[in-house]
Amino acid sequence: MGNSIGLMFGLPGQGMHLHLDALSLLFVCILLPQTVAAALAGMRGSFTFWLFVLGMALALLAGDAFTLIFGFELMSAASWLLVMQGDARPATLYAGVAIFSGACLIPALFLPVSSLAFVLIALGAGAKAGLAPLHSWLPRAHPAPPAGVSALMSGGMVKVALYVLIRYAFVNLAPAAQPWWGVALVAAGALSVLIGALRAVLEVELKTVLACSTVEHVGLITVGLGLALYAKATGDAALSGLALQAALLCAVAHGLFKPLLFIGAGEVKHATGTTSLNWLGGLMRGMPRLGALMLLGAACMAALPLGPGFAPAFLLFHAAIGAAATGGILARIGFSGLLAVLGIGGALALAAAVRLIGLGFLGRPRSLHAAAAEDLRRGPYLAMALLGVLCTPVALVPGLILELLNPVIMLLAPQADAPPLSYAPLTLLLLAGLAALAAGFVQTRWGTRGLREVAAWNGGFGRPPAWLPFGDPHTQASATGFAEPVMRLLGKGLLGTTLADPAERFLLLPLFRLQTRLIRLAERVRRATIRERLAFVFAVLVAFLLALGLGQGG
Amino acid sequence: MSLTFSLAHLMGGIILLCAFLQLSQRRLAAMVTLYQLEALVLAAAAFWQGYAQHEINLYLTGLITFALKAMLLPWGLREIVQRFNMVRAVETALPMAAAMILGLALIGIAVLVVLPVTMHAISLTREDLAIALSVVLLGLLLMIVRRNALAQIIGFLSMENGLVLAAIGMPGMPFVAEFSVALLVLLAFLVVGVFLLRIREHFDTLDISGLEDIERRGR
Repeated sequence: MGNSIGLMFGLPGQGMHLHLDALSLLFVCILLPQTVAAALAGMRGSFTFWLFVLGMALALLAGDAFTLIFGFELMSAASWLLVMQGDARPATLYAGVAIFSGACLIPALFLPVSSLAFVLIALGAGAKAGLAPLHSWLPRAHPAPPAGVSALMSGGMVKVALYVLIRYAFVNLAPAAQPWWGVALVAAGALSVLIGALRAVLEVELKTVLACSTVEHVGLITVGLGLALYAKATGDAALSGLALQAALLCAVAHGLFKPLLFIGAGEVKHATGTTSLNWLGGLMRGMPRLGALMLLGAACMAALPLGPGFAPAFLLFHAAIGAAATGGILARIGFSGLLAVLGIGGALALAAAVRLIGLGFLGRPRSLHAAAAEDLRRGPYLAMALLGVLCTPVALVPGLILELLNPVIMLLAPQADAPPLSYAPLTLLLLAGLAALAAGFVQTRWGTRGLREVAAWNGGFGRPPAWLPFGDPHTQASATGFAEPVMRLLGKGLLGTTLADPAERFLLLPLFRLQTRLIRLAERVRRATIRERLAFVFAVLVAFLLALGLGQGG
Repeated sequence: MSLTFSLAHLMGGIILLCAFLQLSQRRLAAMVTLYQLEALVLAAAAFWQGYAQHEINLYLTGLITFALKAMLLPWGLREIVQRFNMVRAVETALPMAAAMILGLALIGIAVLVVLPVTMHAISLTREDLAIALSVVLLGLLLMIVRRNALAQIIGFLSMENGLVLAAIGMPGMPFVAEFSVALLVLLAFLVVGVFLLRIREHFDTLDISGLEDIERRGR
């Protein structure tokens, strides 16, 4: 599958080239359904939207560096316009990140094959993909534009950035590959998983929750890629193939369920006027179809067994365990720590999904708007249904999808003998059921006898207290309250009481201070008196003369 | 031959001494007098070089220097000093002693730079170049260590004298350059004279620290 086309326009004398191989094809296939879904969800009339899609397609199909960077920047610019239509403030932050990313990528694409090129690629693509510690713009910028664009940004644009990372780390820069490249990616990915999952539990806005979850999934994919890169550099072919399977399958699954959730969030906003979980509730009654589809998406987000998110998570744990069993003592300790981080991330993702469904769609409505919500419009319904249907094969027959991924893995890690996934969902279901039965048996047989009466959760549809016969909705647990245990356990330690992202505190704030200091310096120079300026020029002249004289003398 | 060198070096030395003494003078009138002496010696040096190099242009340079810098400019400067009633002590930004020590260091630097750099050049110009560079640096220093605008102008003029000294010592320097430099200095003098009048009108003094204050407070 090495098909190239030369285009008649582009750089003078060179033109632009399109090239389709297995990797491009995979990412185009990831991009296609969500583009159709976003168009169905109401974006098809927007010229900027199609420009955005064109940029992504161009970046994926690029056959030379110029085309790649052209498509990438076209994507950035168009998505910046789309974000600005939603909200101007994150748009500025987003533009800054996009410029930083471009400034890293453009020199990297034309550098010789070296570690420096990889670092620049990782910084540029990582910033665009929302990889920690350059992720803090993502939960601000992704929720800003209309739902269709949010869906495509979260599901597609992030993948394009990861595609650039994969293309360069595994193919173009492969001759210079070092094990520490993989370790660096794993570290960044693990950090993203932790922060993304934690913030997904704590945030109140529905779309922000989803964006934070995107950070988490980008982290998962990057951990997979990093493991594969590490294994490839150390010559462990089987592990490399396994980790690549995990990463790519995770990308496929995320590209399906995240747009679904974002479009659903947009519909929630359309029907109720808000996406704040503190003002929603009970939507499952008014919007049953949306509720069912969102339930499906949330199950995927939480990587529940029999959902599409489970197989990649399973493979990833498999790969991490494999990596922890090889290498020196430091590698063993490090990868064991990675396992713990992935476990925490998985648990937090589950909590986030439960909170999303439990507070947004179950329980009593917390506002009149939520009570009066009407069900899905036709376009978004079709879009979400399409994505939901496409989720099914990923969920139930991941082995088939992995077969299809084989050419890509062969391309990325030529010596990998990709083992077919030893993952049978039905058997697993049987085992899980047996385990649950055994646990229940143990619980009833040897569990505590004492009785304790507590208010029933009742699937969230709790009865109002007796002294409020008409049921004040705010007597239910709020989204903030639901997240409080997690907040106490992890949030205060990692994020502080203000819920500010650590990246903002440790990265953006110092940058801001540096800028202020430079401005002060510039102002000081501008206000220098005539004598001070003269003295400065004079001092430079004398220093120059001294250097000249001493250089000559010595 | 040796007389040519000796006289040229003597005149250069007197010019350098004048430039250096300007640093030590508190009174504007004395500075103007020193400047006049400097310009006179410069004119004489130009005549001498013209005689030694058989260059008509250098006579012309000497004539311009004599008329413009030794006569017209000092007269104008004295006029300004009289009219603004500034026959009094000059305020300095740096103590005299420190300024003079700095000046000595600058002369040392100039010699240190010029002598090794021009090792292979004709020996006639080497010492002259060192002296000229010293005069330029001393003029710059004078502009920095004085707060009074008139003293800064004198520093500027003295610096220009250093440039002319370098030009006449160098055989084959085109006359146009010197002529344009002289004209430029005259124009600058006129402009600055008008400027001084304006400063005086606004602040009743030529001490530019008032200006600096305004600048520092922000426009």
